Amino acid sequence: MTLNSVVETDFPEEFVEEMEKSQDALPKKIDANPENVEKGLAKLVLTLIELIRKLLEKQAMRRVESGSLSEEQIENVGETLMKLENKMDELKGIFGLKDEELNLNLGPLGDLM
Amino acid sequence: MKLYLYGIIDSSDQINEPIYGLEGACVCNIPYCDIGAVVSEFTEPVQNNTKGNVLAHEEIAERLMEHFTVLPVRFHTVFDGRDNLLSMMQSCYKDFKDNLARLHNKLEFGIKVIWPADKIKEHIINTCKKSSQKMSISDDSSNKRFMRDKFEKYKLDEEFQAKADKFINIMDIFFSKFAAEKKLKKLKTEDLLLDAVYLVEKDKQDDFREAFEHIKGPHTSFKFLFSGPWPAYNFVILPKNSDLLKDSRQEDLFDKVVQYQELAGAEKI
Repeated sequence: MTLNSVVETDFPEEFVEEMEKSQDALPKKIDANPENVEKGLAKLVLTLIELIRKLLEKQAMRRVESGSLSEEQIENVGETLMKLENKMDELKGIFGLKDEELNLNLGPLGDLM
Repeated sequence: MKLYLYGIIDSSDQINEPIYGLEGACVCNIPYCDIGAVVSEFTEPVQNNTKGNVLAHEEIAERLMEHFTVLPVRFHTVFDGRDNLLSMMQSCYKDFKDNLARLHNKLEFGIKVIWPADKIKEHIINTCKKSSQKMSISDDSSNKRFMRDKFEKYKLDEEFQAKADKFINIMDIFFSKFAAEKKLKKLKTEDLLLDAVYLVEKDKQDDFREAFEHIKGPHTSFKFLFSGPWPAYNFVILPKNSDLLKDSRQEDLFDKVVQYQELAGAEKI
């Protein structure tokens, strides 16, 4: 039996571009060496903080959606989330990290975020 | 002597026809009990990551697939001598047998779908405006305006994900009818709606192909990619406590060579 493998699409360039994008964003290994060890560690720590920040934000949105927050609580939560986001932006700037870099590939489990 | 491994097959017999692999080296089957490791012998280190070698590796896996059930291994898996290879075969024999039995007579197919993410988002925003789904947060302070923007983004994302799930479910119903196993990845990027691999029995591959053509027809604003049949790169399962996995150098032995398969595919388009 002959099994001829084929790749068929009318849009090869678009698919190559999308696959490259999805692979570039998440290196499988953390590049830690004496020159960039500080950045490597910062990336790891900031990724975990970003995960917690996003969880907090999502939980807050769910509470807004369910209508269980008072006007005053919305004001307070908004202030907290805004300050947290600004602080994260500041830290990302210090270590030269982009949003898409703050993620981890968990192998068969997929990506952290 | 280095042994470059292409894959494990369900036969201990010698390969009848002459096959040439990386750098034109002869390909042979080293038997272990009733299975075999398909290798080429090298005295010099094999050059890593040249396009020609990547394509040759893939081609050998595909040739083997024509006559055997094959567990394709990761590109550039090299053993230092026959003893090391046989030792690995001994420790993984049961796992290899289990996988060979599970994957017998089955092939892997890939389906990728790009959707018009921007238009989908625009549609969601317009629908929300029409149905006047306004949120009840006033904008009398910067904190509340921040919350309102975040909430709108949250709702948009929620709807976007729901639409992705809906489209994927519709497509998957058709493909799953002819698949023994599947692995689906949703929205690897905003535009790449679906990146899926399906394990299909050989005698159902035409039906699977037909299902793809059926799905492709009406979705004119979606872009589709069909690939296969491939050796079952994504469906080889080794237990976490496998001796093989304890050796970090071979940890990814059966990882699919995704980027190389993309290259291989691009050559054939």
